[in-house]
Amino acid sequence: MTPEEALAKLGDSTGDAVLEVLRMFGGGAAERGQPNVIPSGTPPLKAIPVPAVAASVSYVDGVTGGNIFVMTRRGVQRLAAAMMGMDPDQADESAELGELELSAAGEAMNQMMAAAAGATSTVLGEEVEIGPPETKFFSTPDEAGDAYELTPHVVSISYTVLDEPCRLVQLVPNAFIVKMIHALAELEAEAVGSSGQRGGDAQGVPGAALRPVALRVWAELGRARMPVGQAVSLPPGAVVDLDAGPDEPIQLFVNGRRFGSGRLLLVENEWAVRVEEILPVTAPTDTNQGGTH
Amino acid sequence: MARVLVVDDAAFMRKMLSDVLAKAGHEVIGEGANGNEAVERYQALRPDIMTLDITMPEKDGLSALKEILSLEPTAKVVMCSALGQESKVLEAIKAGAKDFVVKPFQPDRVIDAIGKAL
Repeated sequence: MTPEEALAKLGDSTGDAVLEVLRMFGGGAAERGQPNVIPSGTPPLKAIPVPAVAASVSYVDGVTGGNIFVMTRRGVQRLAAAMMGMDPDQADESAELGELELSAAGEAMNQMMAAAAGATSTVLGEEVEIGPPETKFFSTPDEAGDAYELTPHVVSISYTVLDEPCRLVQLVPNAFIVKMIHALAELEAEAVGSSGQRGGDAQGVPGAALRPVALRVWAELGRARMPVGQAVSLPPGAVVDLDAGPDEPIQLFVNGRRFGSGRLLLVENEWAVRVEEILPVTAPTDTNQGGTH
Repeated sequence: MARVLVVDDAAFMRKMLSDVLAKAGHEVIGEGANGNEAVERYQALRPDIMTLDITMPEKDGLSALKEILSLEPTAKVVMCSALGQESKVLEAIKAGAKDFVVKPFQPDRVIDAIGKAL
């Protein structure tokens, strides 16, 4: 995989995560273009329409790098109105941007980048944390051009939100690209291995007669062992330590047999699991005996 | 009705949360913009419950939560998180947070979380 391909994949996964959040804020009125890899040495915010507001968020852990979301002043006014439950068409476009509107833009950026960091974490296989957003106002193209340091790689994605153009700019250092290429190569190798294992004779795949049979599937966060005397005397409010950390994968069981592992997600305010590993069908499986879940 | 402390680094989010809580009959007795203010104002105001953002400058919500719970083990805290912060939410719940809401939040979900945690 070339650096350009890795950048395009990064742009796609981040771009989709950001689009999802923008659609929530904008009542569905958001679209995005394709990731565009900017030539090295080009100022990341060159030729943006001004006046504009840029909210930047840096990754603080796992990987270095940053993201900038740039909106026109009118775009900020319309997005802030939508976020406050008002009609964007009623926003006073002649007024100066207030603290609340700038704060809304920063908060929108924060939520977009948290979603993007989640998507990137999945690709890299490691947690990516973000810092709080920093908001800047640009009244001239020169101010925008000098505002951020150059990085070896820059990816730009155009959006339209509430009929206003805006742009996501990703500042990508070399180390990030190396990690991306390595992680994506591993994912591709796993996909090839998995398809080879499950093709042909379809070993382990149930026949048509068994497919409608319902199975009990559960996800296990962690386990605890304790004497029975302690277990039966647990009062309400007691805290029981489990043996797994918050960053560890959770284990997946079907009818008591462990069949894989995954990561916990929130989907529409409900817990969900993204499956990351499926155990080979012939491998010995752990069971859920004595577990706490 | 509960006396609520609202902590979020975004003035916009503090206003939205305060409006939702006030409409539901709760009293917002104070606000904070980072983890340090969360700890200071919790001790000063002794709210019935507090909402606490996770990503904040100076001190994040998770560190503030742990500090508050070490000072007051019965403190009632509802975390506010963005999408993609599942592991942080899980760590907060394990540390003792009563519940969480995911931003962009639904007003009913906020009121429900506050009601259940009280």
